[in-house]
Amino acid sequence: MNQMNKKYALLSKSEQDVSQGVDKGKRTFIGGLVGASGLAVAPGVMLYQTASAKPVEQAVSNAVRWGMLVNVNQCAEDCDDCVTACNDEHGLWPKEGSTTDSQWIRKLTVKDPSTGNAKSLPMMCQHCENPPCVDVCPTGASFKREDGIVLVNMHTCIGCRYCMMACPYKARSFVHETLENQLPDSPRGKGCVESCNMCVNKIDAGDNTTACAEACSKAGHEAITFGDLNDPESDISTQLKAHGGNQIRADLGLNTGVRYQGL
Amino acid sequence: MRILLPKLAVIKHSLALILVLILGMSSVYAVDEHAINVPAPKGEECVEDAKWMRVNHFKTVLNHRDDTVIRGIRTTKHSLKNCIDCHITPNETGDYARYSNSEEHFCASCHTTAAVTIDCFSCHADRPEHVIRAARQQSQLEALKENSVHVSATELILNTPQP
Repeated sequence: MNQMNKKYALLSKSEQDVSQGVDKGKRTFIGGLVGASGLAVAPGVMLYQTASAKPVEQAVSNAVRWGMLVNVNQCAEDCDDCVTACNDEHGLWPKEGSTTDSQWIRKLTVKDPSTGNAKSLPMMCQHCENPPCVDVCPTGASFKREDGIVLVNMHTCIGCRYCMMACPYKARSFVHETLENQLPDSPRGKGCVESCNMCVNKIDAGDNTTACAEACSKAGHEAITFGDLNDPESDISTQLKAHGGNQIRADLGLNTGVRYQGL
Repeated sequence: MRILLPKLAVIKHSLALILVLILGMSSVYAVDEHAINVPAPKGEECVEDAKWMRVNHFKTVLNHRDDTVIRGIRTTKHSLKNCIDCHITPNETGDYARYSNSEEHFCASCHTTAAVTIDCFSCHADRPEHVIRAARQQSQLEALKENSVHVSATELILNTPQP
């Protein structure tokens, strides 16, 4: 038995090494390829497509990486329009008498104890490049889409909640009770874990925005910018280039798709 | 050889009899399409041949769900949302049936007859989106009305001059 365990541990370790090695190798190769082609082509002409609206019958690709940039200085403390908009977009309507309603996005107030400086910010799934929730999922239900969006495939989710424990941002919720009146674009149900899906239904429809970003603009704060991190010309990339953007818990090396300015 | 021949004839006859019996039984147990009261869809014809769909719709939906969730392919032809949008139509009183209504809901009407238990609709919408949103608005309005009645009742008590 002991020997078997040892063998299994060895096997999984080596498998892991191999898969990581291949993945990294592939990435550097592709990165090099893109860089080389970018150099070879005249300025302003790109070999790879940066357009976000893909045909519906085409699968998503890693040519884009969706992300969001939150300007904390523009986020009003008494405003939770992003939360309301998210709830309305995905049908996260509060159930009467329930204390376990799901949160896909929530407002937080963070305070620096040394200066007393407090900031209000929205917190949601950070859509990591190396998501810990995907690492721990025993069924592969927690996965990262090619375009960088981290999702739960609820058809394979067994509700073990490992991902909730692994997530450093407490971004995921478990559905404890039977739900009713779910919307067609956001199917959800009891026994599954769920979280911000970066309005994947809107992105696939070519809307090029999220419900929270839309609501924030509507409220006049313009604190959330949504866009393609791979496209150097996109609004989010130019803003990041000009003013920078922090990752929350950058020390974990997750390379989050959601960045914060002014923290 | 001569001895075997009559035996073969007996076997042939009995096989034919069994075949007739089986065919007769299957015609009794076969589902009569016209016996199920399947609600009429919105469109003229289905995205695939209706007979083919009756046998294969679950395979189509199963394939499509993985394409959509994992690969982000959102064609409408084989999507469950499209099925619902077309097949779930209002009845004479303008109401849209829920899946729990085995008489009037398109999916439920057939699943009940065929004794099929599925749980698609414990997560997926069983009515078109505009119906769900309208119902939500209605219930919110009613809740508001109820609250305002409570407030005015309290105000009434507070504002009534005490003897």
